[in-house]
Amino acid sequence: MPAAAPPTASSPEPPPRLVVRPMSGMFRALRVFIFYSSAVLLTGLVSMLFADLLWRTGWSASRTFLLVLFIILFFLAAIGCMHGVYGLVLRIFGDRRRITRLADYRGQSIAGTSTALVFPIYNEDVVRVYEGLRATYESLEKTGQLERFDFFILSDSTNPDKWIEEERRWFDLIRELDALGRIYYRRRVSNEGKKSANIRDFLNAWGRRYRYFIVFDADSVMRGGTIVDLVKLMEAQPGVGLIQTVPALVNAESLFGRIQQFANRLYAPVFIAGLNFWSQSFGNYWGHNAIIRTEPFMQYCDLPQLPGRKPFGGQILSHDFVEAALMLREHWEVWFAYDLEGSYEEAPQELIESAQRDHRWCQGNLQHSLVLFAKGLRGVSRIHLLLGIFGYLAGPLWLLFLITFHWMRWFHKSTGLSDITVPGFTPFNTLNGTQHAFLVFVICMAVLLLPKVLSLVDLAFDPARRRAFGGLANAAASTLAETVFSTLHAPLLMLWHTRFVITLLLGKGVNWGTQKRTAGGTAWFLAVRRHWGHTAIGIVWGALVWRMDRTTFWWFLPVFSGMVLSIPFSVFTSRAAWGRRVRQSGLFLTPEETAPPAELASLRTRMAAQETAGETTLRPPDSGLAEAVLDPYVNAIHVSLLRELRLNPIFAEALARMGVRSEKVRGLGEKLLAAGPDSLNQQEKLLLLNDAEAMSWIHRRAWLQPSTKIAPWWLEAIRRYGR
Amino acid sequence: MSAPAVLADAPGQLGGRPMEEWNAAYVQVESYIHALRIRNRVLLGQLVMQVLERAMKRAPNEPDRPAIELAEEELDLLLTEWFATVLERIPTGVEQMLSARGRLALLLSDMPGKWQDQFLRPGPWPEEFVTAMQESYLRAGPDFQLSKMAPRPLDLGPITTLTRFGRLPYTKMVFIWLVFALLLIKIFLFTHR
Repeated sequence: MPAAAPPTASSPEPPPRLVVRPMSGMFRALRVFIFYSSAVLLTGLVSMLFADLLWRTGWSASRTFLLVLFIILFFLAAIGCMHGVYGLVLRIFGDRRRITRLADYRGQSIAGTSTALVFPIYNEDVVRVYEGLRATYESLEKTGQLERFDFFILSDSTNPDKWIEEERRWFDLIRELDALGRIYYRRRVSNEGKKSANIRDFLNAWGRRYRYFIVFDADSVMRGGTIVDLVKLMEAQPGVGLIQTVPALVNAESLFGRIQQFANRLYAPVFIAGLNFWSQSFGNYWGHNAIIRTEPFMQYCDLPQLPGRKPFGGQILSHDFVEAALMLREHWEVWFAYDLEGSYEEAPQELIESAQRDHRWCQGNLQHSLVLFAKGLRGVSRIHLLLGIFGYLAGPLWLLFLITFHWMRWFHKSTGLSDITVPGFTPFNTLNGTQHAFLVFVICMAVLLLPKVLSLVDLAFDPARRRAFGGLANAAASTLAETVFSTLHAPLLMLWHTRFVITLLLGKGVNWGTQKRTAGGTAWFLAVRRHWGHTAIGIVWGALVWRMDRTTFWWFLPVFSGMVLSIPFSVFTSRAAWGRRVRQSGLFLTPEETAPPAELASLRTRMAAQETAGETTLRPPDSGLAEAVLDPYVNAIHVSLLRELRLNPIFAEALARMGVRSEKVRGLGEKLLAAGPDSLNQQEKLLLLNDAEAMSWIHRRAWLQPSTKIAPWWLEAIRRYGR
Repeated sequence: MSAPAVLADAPGQLGGRPMEEWNAAYVQVESYIHALRIRNRVLLGQLVMQVLERAMKRAPNEPDRPAIELAEEELDLLLTEWFATVLERIPTGVEQMLSARGRLALLLSDMPGKWQDQFLRPGPWPEEFVTAMQESYLRAGPDFQLSKMAPRPLDLGPITTLTRFGRLPYTKMVFIWLVFALLLIKIFLFTHR
């Protein structure tokens, strides 16, 4: 192992103020205008048609309400549709206004640059995180540019066992890769402020050493070449503050995961090309798989606390959008590098898991309503924030639309009013009422489904991609199946999002826990617990509509079906076996499945090996604590890391505040040995684990103490170290 | 290894302790050395015996202390002395951090893989081993370059007023009344056409 001096702390200096020439906004503003005008135009025309339809059976207050809801919902759908239309045109005819085409970056030297690759983690699956990191590291090594990059595992873990496992496996990793002094590990004393504060803490300690930093998610993997390209792009364009890649969803096993993955891989390129059309240098940040220029980020992107109480006030949870907005406010450009391949992430494998993630994002996005009117923000940033907010408000609005519609139908029936319609208010409309309604329905469906069709058209024009998706026929069949899936999934999302919004408005926050990304499968019991409400709503609502009006029932059957079938739907789509079966039939294939890139293939092989070696099996409770106390090496690593942590005055102060090196901690140590791990709660275990002296002391004590003075739990643990 | 004098003892006893006690001490010491990843059985046995001999020498002078305790204490002393010598540190009496430092050095110098035969052996040791032990340092992060990010003021505009408005007394109550009133209006409109 190479020798090195211990780190030292230098005194803080005020950072130099950065000034960047503001961009000419005319061209970009015109794009925003054209894009959104298209959506407004489409919405206006179809809304007129819908208003005409409502007018034909007599106007009422409820019709006004329904029309307003229709306009909002249709406008959101029209925006999505326009992303598809503009995206396809750009992909077919070529998009010159994208970050990778604005400068000749390929020949750009990155000598003299320093980039940190940061992996913020929180009680994650350590094996998976580290194998992902290893795949990225090895890929970067192959580029020959490794020495310009440092890796940081930034742990916020609060589970003592996870903490120790992270340390132990970090050491194994650096030893296997010979990466001491290249891959670093730091655990924060407290996880206050969550991920954004974790990154800030890194920046406060080391940020000024690096010109750029790339944020990874726990499940992110990036190709070395892509990472180097990102740095080159930043070097070539000094006015760019942030470049967001578009991560491809990979490694899904369950049916649900594979459908999401397929949709992401097929639709995203077209959609993001459309997004890039109007956002241009005023792009957005999605929190990971993005490169950031450190200095402006440190100067301008520290987040203020929001006024008011939780869940809206306090810390900004979905920090990424706001950070991009703050960067743009100071005239730094933010781009989507949507054509850079080699950026990957994983997604939830189960419907319920996905909804839990949505719940967290919902709180974060709704919080953005407080930032929406902040002075100085760019108009485009407000659009990004607004779209994020409506991503979750659309659910309750759709529910309201359906309820209002059914209320109107019920009122109509119960009052005995006839269905005779008057002619439309335009002389051009010669359709009868049913035909008119059908036309509106067909247009709505076309607007919703057009982006999917356009993605297939895009695929048809690209032979290499077509092959990567298993051929056009397979992709078309998969799109059809995905549409059926989305149709059943959408009502559930509607109910979930409505509940999330209501509970948040009532002041109930969300616990930002760890995301589960493996396809374990949803148990029937859990599915019943989570979906019984959906099922009940579907049955009752469906029965009422059936009783009221059979024709309406058949029209809304897909909505009711999604709700009524939610339990088996949730269970079966979570199964990896179903995912495999569907894969064998050639459905939902993605380029990363048909021809896995080297880094993903390596990740998969290593994960399989880890599984075979039993490294991924769930370990008994307190096994990490036992290792930290008993294992001579794990204890030594732990103590050494704690001592190094204390060199940072911020951590030293935090540790002192916690009460480390006090008699209380020694007492906890005595108690732990005498009565076993169950005698301490998690906070007490964490306090003990944070004390280097106590941990060193307890190691010796555990081995020196006569067996009569320590708990049988420890004797059993010591026995396992025997031959 | 010289034959220990303490072996000459009463039948069924060693160092004035029953054989079972030493057996337990053997297992405990062996477990610890095994935990240090000494996998060579001969070496493992030798090291355990080295510790037990020291404990047995002490045993007659400390008749009240169990053999296992003496053995573990001797193991700790032996380790600390050895770490102090190899790492060229002066023992201070409070050795638990030296012990941690020593164990870390063993790991970083890859003692379990390359230098098992040197472990707990009196010097001189191969220079490569000593250098590896003395210079190894677990670097968890580069040198700090401390700075302090500070949030810049963000004028939230009308939202600031709204959030303050929410703190006014009875706001929720008035809001509920308003919703109720809107509901009544809606019902009235629906039923009076």
